[in-house]
Amino acid sequence: MTRDVLQGKILTILVQDFEFQQPDLDDNLRDVHGFDSIDAIELLGKIERVLGFPLTREEKEKAMEIRTINDILNYLETIQQGRAQ
Amino acid sequence: MKRRVVITACSAITPIGYGKENIVQSLQQGRSGVKPLRDDGLLTGHIHSRVFGTVDYPIAYEFTRSQRKTMGPVAYYACQVAKDVLAESGLPQEFISSGRLGVAFGSTHGSPTVQREIYKTFFQNLETEFSSIGAVDYLRSMVHTTAVNITRMFGITGRVIASSTACTTSSQAVGFGYEMVKYGMQDAMLCGGADEYDTTTVAVFDNLLACSVGYNDRPECTPRPFDKKRDGLVVGEGGGAVLLEEYEAAKKRGAPILAEVIGFACNNNGGDLILPNLQGITSTLRLALQDAAIGPEAVEYICAHATATKMGDIIESQAIEAVYGRGPFVSGLKSYTGHTMGTCGVIELIMTLYMMADGFLAPTLNLDEIDSRCAMLTHTPGLIEAKTNIAAIQNFAFGGVNTCLLVKNGLEAV
Repeated sequence: MTRDVLQGKILTILVQDFEFQQPDLDDNLRDVHGFDSIDAIELLGKIERVLGFPLTREEKEKAMEIRTINDILNYLETIQQGRAQ
Repeated sequence: MKRRVVITACSAITPIGYGKENIVQSLQQGRSGVKPLRDDGLLTGHIHSRVFGTVDYPIAYEFTRSQRKTMGPVAYYACQVAKDVLAESGLPQEFISSGRLGVAFGSTHGSPTVQREIYKTFFQNLETEFSSIGAVDYLRSMVHTTAVNITRMFGITGRVIASSTACTTSSQAVGFGYEMVKYGMQDAMLCGGADEYDTTTVAVFDNLLACSVGYNDRPECTPRPFDKKRDGLVVGEGGGAVLLEEYEAAKKRGAPILAEVIGFACNNNGGDLILPNLQGITSTLRLALQDAAIGPEAVEYICAHATATKMGDIIESQAIEAVYGRGPFVSGLKSYTGHTMGTCGVIELIMTLYMMADGFLAPTLNLDEIDSRCAMLTHTPGLIEAKTNIAAIQNFAFGGVNTCLLVKNGLEAV
């Protein structure tokens, strides 16, 4: 999936399921949208469905460094590239 | 240290209404909240009892997503009544988060709705490749979900007691909360219970032949506590909360005193987990009187557990007769709401407070012909005007747990 496609899908999830109001790609998820560790775990479950394959424990732990929506997109691109190789 | 403990706010969501006005109206008009059992698409077709104490009116919840994410349906009821009680109390946030306010709140088994979704994943082998069980499913379904969703929502930092003893869940919560304040462990306690719509509980009691099955076509005619034609209990849903405060502090801040909790007892039958036990129950009623340091003649009204099972009502009648004789008026308010399980104790306490405040007593609904084995009591003879000074609220649970709360009218307590 291209970054644009991923961005559309992630924004849809964040707006519909996490009730984000007007998210900006560089918003700090915690400070601006009250996104916490429980939300992060919940989002990872949804990301697995977007990607179409389960994430490994290491990949999930790596996700805890995410702070912005752009970070999420970078993370997804890295994972996709890793799987492609 | 022994301190006086008063109730300064209360709220209930029940099958006969939400809030004092609706509930009092239903009690005064003899309106039942028992409706046809809703179809759950799973168990309903196999259950003989097709009646349920139903909350079928809309409730305008205003919880944020951040609050909602850890809440199953049972926590919606719990947090809503807790929100009402804290708003009514006017307690400042500084006190609420001071560690001096605790929470005693429970439910029969957390959220069965959420648990059912988890089991569906297991048994239907759904999406096994992915993390099908949500990160928050445990928080939504766990047995102390009501208590800790309340603490989370309102920033309460004191003690948490999450009783989960079936039908004595919330009466224990109030009783243990009372003891917390009485003995100085906390200055105030937010106490209560909730239970959501759940057919698992109906199926369990149905299998034990304890549910009403003879009035499926006339839900409002059952349950029938103490009546000759009673045929079992009716499971229900709802939530209720009371705020307990240390008397001097409540008085100082000008809080309305709805009632004083003057006694509480809780014991166990120490044997059979299902059958009602005359000795155990009688002992509970006596222990509560001892705790309150009053004689049986002081009690003017008994809100009986009275589930309308064949044996339960008879044993309770015998216990009341042994302790009180024919003295107090007795009614079984589950005849209006059905058996709201973990929340029945606090809901019946609140209905009793409303009756005390408004100077009336409601009779047992559907009590058309008193069973001769329950006839030795003074059953409340219809809707009557009555100034009740002291009332007892009795609850008994599977597991052999018994409770009795004694409350004094707020006007008398001041």
